[in-house]
Amino acid sequence: MTPDLLSLTGIIKSFGSVRALKGVSFDLRAGEVHALLGENGAGKSTLIKVITGAHQPDGGTLAVGGVAVAALTPARARDLGIACIYQQPALFPYLSVAENIGLRLKKSGPFSRTRWKEQRACAKELLERIGAEISPDAEVSELSMPEQQLVEIACALGTGARIVIMDEPTASLTQKEQHLLFAVVRDLRARGIGVIYISHRLEEIFALADRVTILRDGESIGTNPVADLNEAQLIRMMVGREVSQIYPPSRSAPGDIVLSLKKLGSRAGGVRSVTLDVRAGEIVGLAGLVGAGRTELARVLFGITPADSGAITLNGQPIAIRSPRDAVSHGIAYVPEDRRRHGIILEMPIAHNITLAILRAFFPLTLLRDGAETKLAQQFLFDLGIKAYGPDAPGASLSGGNQQKVSVARWLATNPKLLILDEPTQGVDIGAKAEIHKIIRDLTRDGLAVLMISSDLPEILGMSDRIGVMRGGTLTAVLDGKTDAHTVMSAALGKEVA
Amino acid sequence: MKSEIPTPTIHRPEACVLRALLARQETIIFGVLVLEILLFSAIGTNFLAPDNIRNIARHSVEIGLLALVMTPIILTGGIDLSVGSMMGLCAVVFGMLWGEAHWPPWLAGCAAVTLGAAGGAMNAALITRLRMPPLIVTLGTFSLFRGLAEALTGGSKSFTDFPDSFLSLGNSLACGVPVQAWVLVGVFAIVWGLVHRTTAGRAFRAIGFAPEGARYAGIPVGQRIALAYTLAGMVAGLAAVIFISRVGEARANAGTGYELAAITAVVLGGTSIFGGTGSVYGTLLGVAAVAVLSNGLSRILSISDISRELSGMLTGALLLVALAGGALTKAWSERASRSKPANPIKPEPAADTEQPPSNR
Amino acid sequence: MIQKHFRELSIAVALALLLVALAVFAPNFFALQPLLSRLTAQTPALVAAIGMTLIIVSRQIDISIGSQFGMCAVVAGVLAAKGVPLPGVLLASIGAGAVMGAINGALVAWLRLPSIVVTLATMVTWAEALRLWQQGRLLDLPEQVKWLALGQTVGQTTLVVFAAALVIFAAWAMRNLAAGRHVFAVGNDAEAARLAGIDPQRVTFGVFVLMGALIGIAAVMSIAQSPQVQPTCGDGLELKVIAACVVGGVAVSGGRGSLLGVFLGFLLLANVNPALTHFHTQAYWEKAIQGLVILLAVAADGVRSKKAINPVVSAVQ
Repeated sequence: MTPDLLSLTGIIKSFGSVRALKGVSFDLRAGEVHALLGENGAGKSTLIKVITGAHQPDGGTLAVGGVAVAALTPARARDLGIACIYQQPALFPYLSVAENIGLRLKKSGPFSRTRWKEQRACAKELLERIGAEISPDAEVSELSMPEQQLVEIACALGTGARIVIMDEPTASLTQKEQHLLFAVVRDLRARGIGVIYISHRLEEIFALADRVTILRDGESIGTNPVADLNEAQLIRMMVGREVSQIYPPSRSAPGDIVLSLKKLGSRAGGVRSVTLDVRAGEIVGLAGLVGAGRTELARVLFGITPADSGAITLNGQPIAIRSPRDAVSHGIAYVPEDRRRHGIILEMPIAHNITLAILRAFFPLTLLRDGAETKLAQQFLFDLGIKAYGPDAPGASLSGGNQQKVSVARWLATNPKLLILDEPTQGVDIGAKAEIHKIIRDLTRDGLAVLMISSDLPEILGMSDRIGVMRGGTLTAVLDGKTDAHTVMSAALGKEVA
Repeated sequence: MKSEIPTPTIHRPEACVLRALLARQETIIFGVLVLEILLFSAIGTNFLAPDNIRNIARHSVEIGLLALVMTPIILTGGIDLSVGSMMGLCAVVFGMLWGEAHWPPWLAGCAAVTLGAAGGAMNAALITRLRMPPLIVTLGTFSLFRGLAEALTGGSKSFTDFPDSFLSLGNSLACGVPVQAWVLVGVFAIVWGLVHRTTAGRAFRAIGFAPEGARYAGIPVGQRIALAYTLAGMVAGLAAVIFISRVGEARANAGTGYELAAITAVVLGGTSIFGGTGSVYGTLLGVAAVAVLSNGLSRILSISDISRELSGMLTGALLLVALAGGALTKAWSERASRSKPANPIKPEPAADTEQPPSNR
Repeated sequence: MIQKHFRELSIAVALALLLVALAVFAPNFFALQPLLSRLTAQTPALVAAIGMTLIIVSRQIDISIGSQFGMCAVVAGVLAAKGVPLPGVLLASIGAGAVMGAINGALVAWLRLPSIVVTLATMVTWAEALRLWQQGRLLDLPEQVKWLALGQTVGQTTLVVFAAALVIFAAWAMRNLAAGRHVFAVGNDAEAARLAGIDPQRVTFGVFVLMGALIGIAAVMSIAQSPQVQPTCGDGLELKVIAACVVGGVAVSGGRGSLLGVFLGFLLLANVNPALTHFHTQAYWEKAIQGLVILLAVAADGVRSKKAINPVVSAVQ
């Protein structure tokens, strides 16, 4: 019986008084895809850090290939064949792909000469092995995110990794690239490599994984073959309670048209001729593959990139939007996709984040008023169920879901007529996802028009009253909310839909 | 709207007030200032005499003014190396308007301040419109402004013979305090109000922490940066006028090295060179610490030449010690009060399920 | 190809235009002996520019090199005056520079202090220490130092050839030696470098030490050209050198840059003033023109590039 590639028993890890891992056992066999599932804060990331040697466990044992390892360091983990592919590829943007791979693969002394031909050939071979159509001479900064991830995988392969950890790898991939990635993962599995796959997308887990381990509150709830479980069981094990109604339904009919786009285009922004209406009280979902132009459209509506053709009408008035400030003054709000960079300022307290978009309106004569600001923040903390120790807590102290709520709070504070949400629940755990969906639906009852961009098909289908599908910078279809996934996907792929 | 899911209680991280206070750079530099005052009043003679205090005040106003307006700039994550050179250019233009065009000093002063504003606006335009890094832009204007000043004076000309009424600005007292010190107080009040009590100040910090994030929040980033740099240019012009009234001469090398002294004071006072964190009163403390050090040493060591160099060296060392000390105490206080698993400000990729950057 | 080397090509064109204008309007610019003397006088700054290129590529900055230069020059001069033979003088100068560089490097690399502030502090400290030590005195140099005891023409040629060889070697090393690639790696992304088994702290420290050592070499090259050492001989060096790097296309955000571009930029900037003199323009326009050239060079970058080189306003990385 071959020993497990990786075997953790009774891992305990605490940070101060917080017990992140309370005795977790996990094993990885050769030639398997083992999914790791759990809400944020469940301990997944801590467990991964223990495996990659970034954290030392306070208790428990770790064995690689049957051999116990004490005091694992990142360097030692790499030597033992453990590789981790993060969402943010750790590549050198201004160096070539070949050099990136070469630097990762070889540890050379400072005075050794670089063998350019060999480096290029090695990179070419690795890239071909995983079927990536990337030139080894390309500069990494010119590659798309998915291409960069493939380079990372090539590196992992090249370093002879036997244990590959993938952290939300499909988060920004198109459908085609996802399939490519799945093929790569299956190829890794066929070679006897063990893959630890972390994802919030249950459909991926069912498609790809052999076994799944669920973590909750620092404990392992169970390790089961995927074939033995269904989605409801998985969710219940993750959350430990019944999560009713992830997608609250709409109750009332939509009102007047709030936003009307007629042949809106922006060459610089990558948008071609979009015609769309959004009514008060309705949620229009915007579906499409990555690169279809949805965020580009949002950026045009929000004034980040200017429109150069077509018309935007808000509540019957034609308007021009030249900057985010313009957009806000017209009542358009945008909760951006990149939460950590654009949605919330991590170093600033929650209260300051919330008032950041309403500085002019909230503070007359530009003079700050701390008391009023704190009160406003506390109201939002309560209304949106944001879990923080106070309005003065810095954004960085919050979990992803709560950061997203603060981002939403900032824009709700502007009293918008139109709220554009870009991937509102990406990277957010199931519990917070449900809360955010309920918040959005409740807002529409008060007459808010919502344009929701999402790559999560179940979310689009569950939340939208109507669905606009984009492809190549333009709308290919506007479907009723009760349509099915197949129709949406066909439209997204450019096929004719009824 | 309240969530149905039970809320786990979030505990405020144990923040020992004393530790948090000690970890602040402003406290450290205040302590240094107090130490200096105690030391020099014990060792030297008449350190605390009113005459000497007036002396200290008089000599530190120009750099103090520059340091005060440097603060909002550094808060936005930028820097302005050109303020000293701007002083030189404004001084020369002032001198020419007075000496050759025979303008009255007050009018020439307004022109100097206006010129400063224009120079600051030029810096801002290059930084925001052309997206050029402030370090390099202001390095270029540092050279350009000083070069223009030297070219205008042929490298050697200077202007003197100012009326006594003008010279009294830099050399006389109002209510027992040197006149220019009141100017410093006034500018301090304005800059403090701007940075700490207005929305512009909030915008400065947001831009410093996250320039793109500030833009996405609808903050008019270009306008705010223009405000910071234009203000700096204006005050550089003002400092030039005060300098001329103090020394009685308008020359091209006015303000040489002042920008570095200003930046030193700002950083000593706790403003992070990366932007976002900092305070205006910290800057004032930084200015005071350096001024007191320089003055105190010159009184102890009767040979004034050595004292100048020594105070310069000690200032350099003080800057390093303050920075290193600040970094170490911050790490100590963070470690002690930490209750979250990973350092939240700079999380490693797998710390929280991350969003990928937008690649659309 | 043109796109990739656009910066180098445009500087080369600008330089060529300048030289053509000189050839037509002021041909005595090319008189051999004065030309050689001018070139030789520029070699110390060129050597310093090599070090600054590495520093900026590694995402740091060093504004203390002017003070370091003065310090090394005085150390070298004092030892030479005491009769220490030239090789010893050179070694001592390199050693002094390396020590000062090491101080910068340790503070930046291990205490993680921002390099602009650290080098600001050390710049002031060394400058004042030097002033304290020398009190502005000029140091007389013994005969054997002048022109490296080779006589003027041979000495000058040696210095120029040496500088050129150093530049060529440095360019080769930056491209082909692992140490050079490590500097680029760290300048691109220090964390990614760590993942690749590169120690960013050690690389950063090494770059500052190397800068100091190069300053030591440059200082000796400088004192070999004049009968006296002026303690203020390093004034303005950092501006000259950073300007050459910026004009030469080295990105302040790190990770990118070519020594060829820096070399061309250096030549362009260094010859603006002599050119002005030959065109009978006032010499005190030098600083203004230098500033203008910097602004134009970086503005060209800003207008051209699709992706912003830096976020809108960040001064330091």
